[in-house]
Amino acid sequence: MSKITDRYAIVGVGESERSKNSGVTPLHLALDAARAAISDAGLEAKDIDGFMSYNENDSCTSHQLATNLGVRPKYVKDILGGGSSTELLIADAISLIESGELNTVLIFRSMNGRSGSRVGGGWDPNMLQANIDGGSYIIPYGAASPGQWFGLFATRHMYETGITQEHLGHVCVSFYEHAQRNPKAFFHGRPLTMEDYLNTPHLSYPFTKHDFCLESDEANAIIVTSAEQAKDCKTKPVYIMGMSSRQCHPHSHYWSDLSQVASDYVAPEVYQSAGVKAEDIDVASIYDCFSWVVLRQLEAYGFAPRGEVGDFVAEGNLRIDGKLPTNTAGGMLSEGYTHGMNNVLEIVRQLRHQYGETDRQVKNCEIGICTGWAGPDIAGAMILRN
Amino acid sequence: MTYQKPIPLKNIDNAPYWDAADHHEMKLQKCNDCSNYNHPPGPGCSKCGSTNLSWKNFGSDVKGKVYSYIISYRPFLPGFQNDIPLVIAQVELDNAKDVRIIANIIDCEPDKVEIGKSVRMVWEDITDDRALPQWKINE
Repeated sequence: MSKITDRYAIVGVGESERSKNSGVTPLHLALDAARAAISDAGLEAKDIDGFMSYNENDSCTSHQLATNLGVRPKYVKDILGGGSSTELLIADAISLIESGELNTVLIFRSMNGRSGSRVGGGWDPNMLQANIDGGSYIIPYGAASPGQWFGLFATRHMYETGITQEHLGHVCVSFYEHAQRNPKAFFHGRPLTMEDYLNTPHLSYPFTKHDFCLESDEANAIIVTSAEQAKDCKTKPVYIMGMSSRQCHPHSHYWSDLSQVASDYVAPEVYQSAGVKAEDIDVASIYDCFSWVVLRQLEAYGFAPRGEVGDFVAEGNLRIDGKLPTNTAGGMLSEGYTHGMNNVLEIVRQLRHQYGETDRQVKNCEIGICTGWAGPDIAGAMILRN
Repeated sequence: MTYQKPIPLKNIDNAPYWDAADHHEMKLQKCNDCSNYNHPPGPGCSKCGSTNLSWKNFGSDVKGKVYSYIISYRPFLPGFQNDIPLVIAQVELDNAKDVRIIANIIDCEPDKVEIGKSVRMVWEDITDDRALPQWKINE
């Protein structure tokens, strides 16, 4: 176990309304999410001395958020980044609290991901070429979407390990099933059967539209503090057992090597940090920008051996009563999309047993894993307990 | 009609590759210290960090095998609306096994693509002075 184990906790979570067209700026969404998280923790805005966020030039700043909450924090930070940024900022927050610089940090992600700046849409091709590492080797060939880039990894991995289209479908069907129990999920009321899935044409082989995450306007926020201060908060703290905040693929140009992903390097570190093994995990939030990304991470994090991941999901293990209930609010495939933070909110609620006796609660869950995936190149993860 | 799709942008790191492509040849960056190829090229070797790099010319006879591929049924960039379905493949080179190069497989029915299929590099003249390497299935 690492020296941070059980010494820091997530004490508040909150979100704004989720929609296709918020009609407001990301600042308004961020304020709603922040107020909800602060209230959830039983704190006041002035108790937060650090504000952090991640964005892709599509959001408001931490400074703006604090200003409009009427407080003046000691520290603000906004980073450019998508998946795994939550884990990275939690690690930064812990470091700053550990050093005595800060006491309590609020981390948020706010975006009009559907009505405003859409991820992977409307970008200038020359900007993409110039800004993406090795961009001239992909953009002239029409490869501008993460679905295409990750698809190259997926086709090869499926070929090597025997994963089929139906296995991808089991990820989608399981998560859509969770969404039917979550009235706030985008695809609540829109269940997906395997037959429907298999009849859906490819958008970009091997992916159908169901294998792609959705797009939504929303903000999410979480609050991190020390275990001592967590005792004074209103809700039951969820303790951080261990983290591996941001590991990289060995080569900067990940499209030169499809055989490994950054998650392969995160897994041993996060388990060592937390002092637990894959079999100790009761509930999971696995970054799901694409269905295949879940399968590849189940392999990386040791939930099923390479070559048996397809069977693992086909047996129903991602479902609420499976061996590893995963993305139990519906995930980014069917609940909402904030570059992963909605999955963090859900695992905190599961570990608090906030859903009580309802059918949404994973029974007796004590330990959970939350993974982030910026791409095959960068990943992070944390293990939490109640 | 002018070429509608993105044209490879040359920069200080990739210019030798694209200059060679314009002459229907393939050049790859190679590390003189660890002997690995470095593709996509850069100012430092991604295997060992060395800056002792040079370029090797493979000429115009470049063959390989499909290592992975996708088939897009929607254009994800402007200019590709007439190229649907679009096959994008990563190809392992026969003469440099650790190098894999992404391009379209042109003149190819999507159901003819499979991993391991033998392909050869061809060059599309896209403007008066620019050419784009592509893959074609070896019949």
